[in-house]
Amino acid sequence: MSAQVKDKEAFQRLSFLYQAAHCVLAQNPENQELARFYCHMQRSISRRLVLRQDPSVKRTICKFCSSLLVPGISSTVRQRRCSGRRWSVIRCLCCGQTKRFPSNPAYKLWAEQPEALLENQPQTGERRQVPRRSPQHIRPKPPL
Amino acid sequence: MPRLKDEAIQDKLTRKAVVLEHCLRRRKKEKRKKTKGFSAKQRREMRLFEVKPEQQKYELFLPLHELWKQYIRDLCNGLRPDTQPQMIQTKLLKADLHGAIVTVTKSKCPSYVGITGIILQEMKHIFKIITKEDKLKVIPKLNNVFSLELDGFISHIYGSKFQLRASERSAKKFKAKGTIDL
Repeated sequence: MSAQVKDKEAFQRLSFLYQAAHCVLAQNPENQELARFYCHMQRSISRRLVLRQDPSVKRTICKFCSSLLVPGISSTVRQRRCSGRRWSVIRCLCCGQTKRFPSNPAYKLWAEQPEALLENQPQTGERRQVPRRSPQHIRPKPPL
Repeated sequence: MPRLKDEAIQDKLTRKAVVLEHCLRRRKKEKRKKTKGFSAKQRREMRLFEVKPEQQKYELFLPLHELWKQYIRDLCNGLRPDTQPQMIQTKLLKADLHGAIVTVTKSKCPSYVGITGIILQEMKHIFKIITKEDKLKVIPKLNNVFSLELDGFISHIYGSKFQLRASERSAKKFKAKGTIDL
């Protein structure tokens, strides 16, 4: 149940581009164009090959201008209260686009839930206790 | 309508109610486009490499080169003399070249030959390379042969066949066709 070979190479390339963007920014915090170029490349590759990325990676890249968001250098992070809840507002300094995340410590991303891991997926045919979506939980409707 | 005479057209127009287009339609179209990225303006203003990098030194990009070396070693599983060149070729085609040290070996224009440097950006038809003298050089891919060196493994890249955006290159399958001649 390993990933397909072509995808693996593409993912390696994506992660390399991400690390390269960080490396370039670390060397020279003023030059954000190169980091932006690499992140744009990363986004276009994942768009072309339709690859999903981890939300922790997506959150650090601005959706609008695709620059790498580093709090303090290329973005500002604030805590605001809106409609009774606390939100973290990340604002990209280059294009002015904001991202808002509700700060709810009980919220788990789909990727972190135990259901999402491949190892925990039940194999078809062996076990019948499948969560929610399998047809076995749907009772057959009585004939009208 | 165009076939009728002028009088007949006038006749029809006076009796028929012609509804003119609303101006509101255009506004809606513009609003939709604004949500994700203004393509033309954005790229020209913000994205491109500025003059400042010329002040940046070659030494600052050496860690990038180290990162690239590790990436390529990881990609080919490290066994250099053992594996067939075919495997490595296919992997290199899909790999990323940012941060690699390349040299121009053959070229139709003799002034390009011998330029060495680290690739900073790869666009559809060109490479942007920074040389040891901290000069930013823009080298077209057409009619040029680049050579890539890593751990004693030298590979030649025929730039004329590489006229693709870097993102498209990992999606495309290459076929062996055509003679490779400058």
